[in-house]
Amino acid sequence: MSKLPRPDMTMSGPVAAAIAVVLGAGVTAGLDLALLWWAALIIAVVVAFGFVAWTAPLISMKRGAGSGGAKEEGTALHKTLVMPTALILAVVSGLLSAWLLDLQLQEWAAALIGGAIGAALAFLLFHRLSTMLALSFAAVFAAGILAIGVTAAVLYFSGITPLDTFDRMLEYGTRPNSMVQIINDGITYYLAAVAVAIGFKMKLFNIGVDGQYRLAALLSAAVGGYLILPPVISQFVVIVTAVAVGGVWAGIAGYLKVARGVSEVISTIMLNSIATGITAYLLTEGRLAVEISTNNIGTPPIPESGWVPGIPATFLGSEREIFGLLFLAVAVGIGYWVMLNRTRFGFELRATGQSKTAAEASGVDVKKMVFLSMLFSGMVAGLVGLPQLLGSSHYYALDFPTGIGFIGIAIALLGRNHPVGIVFASLFWAFLNQAAGILPFDGIPQEIAVIAQATIVLTVVVVYEVVHRWGRRYQQQQIGKQLGRTTETTPEPAAVSHGPEHGSDEGDDSVPGRSKEDGTDDKSGGEAQ
Amino acid sequence: MSSTPSGGGSNGPAAVELRGITKRFPGVVANHDIDITVAPGTVHAIVGENGAGKSTLMKTLYGMHKPDEGTIHVKGREVRFNSPSDAIKNGIGMVHQHFMLADNLTVLENVVLGAERRHGIGNKAREQIRALSGQYGLGVEPDRLMEDLGVGDRQRVEILKVLYRGAETIILDEPTAVLVPQEVDELFDNLRELKREGLTVIFISHKLDEVLSVADEITVIRRGTTVATADPRTTTARELATLMVGGELPVPELRESTVTDHVVLSLDGVTVTSADGRNVVDDVSVDIRKGEIVGIAGVEGNGQSELIEAIMGMRRVSSGHIRLEGDDVTSWTTLRIREAGVGYIPEDRHRHGVLLESPLWENRVLGHQTREPSVRGPWINKAGARQDSERIVAEYDVRTPNIDVIADALSGGNQQKFIIGREMSGRPRFLVAAHPTRGVDVGAQSAIWEQLREARAEGLAVLLISADLDELIGMSDTLHVILRGRLVAEADPTDVTPEQLGSAMTGAGLAGDRQSDSGASDGTDGEENEGGA
Repeated sequence: MSKLPRPDMTMSGPVAAAIAVVLGAGVTAGLDLALLWWAALIIAVVVAFGFVAWTAPLISMKRGAGSGGAKEEGTALHKTLVMPTALILAVVSGLLSAWLLDLQLQEWAAALIGGAIGAALAFLLFHRLSTMLALSFAAVFAAGILAIGVTAAVLYFSGITPLDTFDRMLEYGTRPNSMVQIINDGITYYLAAVAVAIGFKMKLFNIGVDGQYRLAALLSAAVGGYLILPPVISQFVVIVTAVAVGGVWAGIAGYLKVARGVSEVISTIMLNSIATGITAYLLTEGRLAVEISTNNIGTPPIPESGWVPGIPATFLGSEREIFGLLFLAVAVGIGYWVMLNRTRFGFELRATGQSKTAAEASGVDVKKMVFLSMLFSGMVAGLVGLPQLLGSSHYYALDFPTGIGFIGIAIALLGRNHPVGIVFASLFWAFLNQAAGILPFDGIPQEIAVIAQATIVLTVVVVYEVVHRWGRRYQQQQIGKQLGRTTETTPEPAAVSHGPEHGSDEGDDSVPGRSKEDGTDDKSGGEAQ
Repeated sequence: MSSTPSGGGSNGPAAVELRGITKRFPGVVANHDIDITVAPGTVHAIVGENGAGKSTLMKTLYGMHKPDEGTIHVKGREVRFNSPSDAIKNGIGMVHQHFMLADNLTVLENVVLGAERRHGIGNKAREQIRALSGQYGLGVEPDRLMEDLGVGDRQRVEILKVLYRGAETIILDEPTAVLVPQEVDELFDNLRELKREGLTVIFISHKLDEVLSVADEITVIRRGTTVATADPRTTTARELATLMVGGELPVPELRESTVTDHVVLSLDGVTVTSADGRNVVDDVSVDIRKGEIVGIAGVEGNGQSELIEAIMGMRRVSSGHIRLEGDDVTSWTTLRIREAGVGYIPEDRHRHGVLLESPLWENRVLGHQTREPSVRGPWINKAGARQDSERIVAEYDVRTPNIDVIADALSGGNQQKFIIGREMSGRPRFLVAAHPTRGVDVGAQSAIWEQLREARAEGLAVLLISADLDELIGMSDTLHVILRGRLVAEADPTDVTPEQLGSAMTGAGLAGDRQSDSGASDGTDGEENEGGA
């Protein structure tokens, strides 16, 4: 580690964190006087990170091990991968927070707080960023670079300068109104992606999110438009209708799979077509629709008492509003995470997805799980159209957005089915869509966005898998080294296996294989000479 | 074919020579510094315990993977195999432990599959097969349908396949694992015939007495490396065993009976019908009492798996009843049966016992996701599960750095120990143990046996299904034999021999054994000859 002399004492975690934060903020403020704010911030976070690394051996942190279980700090991989990733993430977060805060605060204040945030994250990530997570970030980052590279190549060979295009997109996409649009689109995509992800966790492919949400939006819009109810009840009824319709529509596919073994891929795609047909049938005057304007018919508009108020976005500098159902999306995301990781149902879901046979042998009703999984997926899918419906258009018409279900699939892949990953994926996707909107005005084809989106989905999936597998194998090797074993051996005296007490607790920079000193004799000691 | 006269000498270069072979896998060094010289025209046995690295070594020799270090010489020339076809080209053929034969094809079709270029697929191939069969005394008929053949015959077809492709060195991977003693003798006659014709046989096994009776030279592998080469004429089984294990041999002992009168699980005329109408479990009746281990011996595929699945609620019972201390559990779901205090150690731990990609503490929840300490109401009790996982790791000596490790990273034996620890927690009243020490190293094996015995002393009732006759004889209080879904014999573990059991397992009946009054299926007398497999 560092060759600087270290005080011979221990420091508690929070104290070190506090010092790092102060360091970050202080250095930013100081250098800001001389340099551009972002340069100051970057230097400050790096300094804070250095401090954290320097004091790391002094701090006793519980659970220094990552999710892989192997003792991580001090290994080669930690140094070459996790630490740089942690540093980059801390710097980027600091910059982003400062930039966001800049919209409201003065530049120096924003920079200062940004520096503090970056430093705090530096501490947190250094100690807590597990190898697997770092690998994930690195994979996504690498994939992103690849995707940008491919897009740039496409632009270049079409005779367009890539850098200018990116610059333009960035500039347009970060305007206040654009940002509101991005958030709004992101909310819709997020719901769609979570719906798909629920299925993915069970190794089920719910391709039918598209049909589910359109049917749900239509029917719930009709309910809201025809059934005039008092304020809160109206929204509630509309939401419940949408959820029910989405659930039923997906439930059909789930039932078919469970009862007759019909592949859900096929049944959901077919149900999409049927939904399109039903929607077309119902959306005519005389059935559910009325004339909204020339060339547009839709369900009767929901009265204002049935709307969901938006969130004013003046803090972003825009006069537009963010969909109020943002909170619903957040709730869905939290609910998804909690369900999956904290509930028995979520455990059974993940177990069935990982190994049907093991789940069955452990008492899980696999058929019930399949059905419920499709049901829940459809229920969330039903919500997809609601932010738009209740927050903006208030009726379901011919021009209601379509195709969001398929975007949801791409985003779920991009976000690796993780509730937080999907947030970033949704925003990124929405950003590309929005930012590309300016390009036709410069004579650049808008499809650049599509190319970028498609490429990044492909690259993320591939790179992520490759990196993840390599990471797992590496971890296994580490564990093998730690146990100091060759093949199955007769058990050594119990001292070796008391990993829980020794192995991962201390933050001191011991090397793996240190378990040898626990009493493993050389007979079982690892690798060939 | 080689034309050297009857083998058994080191005439000429070694048939196969392995020098310094090392192979590493993530987390484990499977082989290191392996040195073996196989003289031509001999039967060379490679012995070692489960997990010692024998199979890995054979895969290296057969070209299924490349060694990380070391060289392979075939007939004096150094070779490098990129795939099994390279090995075949060099005259090395492998007969796998799990046969790769298509039931719906004839012997001829199975043999020529993949080697159509050699002699075509018609009469020329047929003649070649007959010629080989005659030359080596295999007794294989080309036009018989594979599904009509028994295990011994199938193995001979596998050997013929290898000869057909021009093998001069044949590797047999645990060939006697699926055979009963009589079939083993037939196999060894075949091997001696092959040797007489000048072929070289490499024979992997962990069964010492068999090896001593047929091998010309024995190499012992322990913990991934060669530890000794022995001459069967001057070595005893005990010496070999000591070399293999490096220490005390664990012996399942018999001791004072802890069997009570209280029946915990009662199977009454249980019949399970398969999709094609066969009764895979046929009218099985047996009682398992508190403090008793009931063992069921049988060649694999005679209904044991289906019986276990029926008990655990994973398979429908067509007729008959299963009662757990009075409750009729025949139609209960797996979950309900588990909640009622039934533990299950599955035969195939990777498919049924663990979630390979989940951490160890999450695997503690598996199978117990409706009970303490893993769960509180609808919520997973992470702290409780973790704490109990630590307890299991300590009590059952599971070698792992901590409980956050992914289950896949553990060795098979440690996974099994964890599974057993998990299934024994919560004081089950009944335990279904299917091959509990399969693929587990010797030390873990004796630890598991000890755990089972302790639990039995405290009143646990156990149904033990195993292919390890020593384990069955050593652990069981009552021993039954299952054949084609029926319990055909009951043996007294205190005086039955593996040979007797083996003969009962193929239907020849236990010689001179007392008749059972409980549990044997109706009409089939232990002394009746069932006419062979």
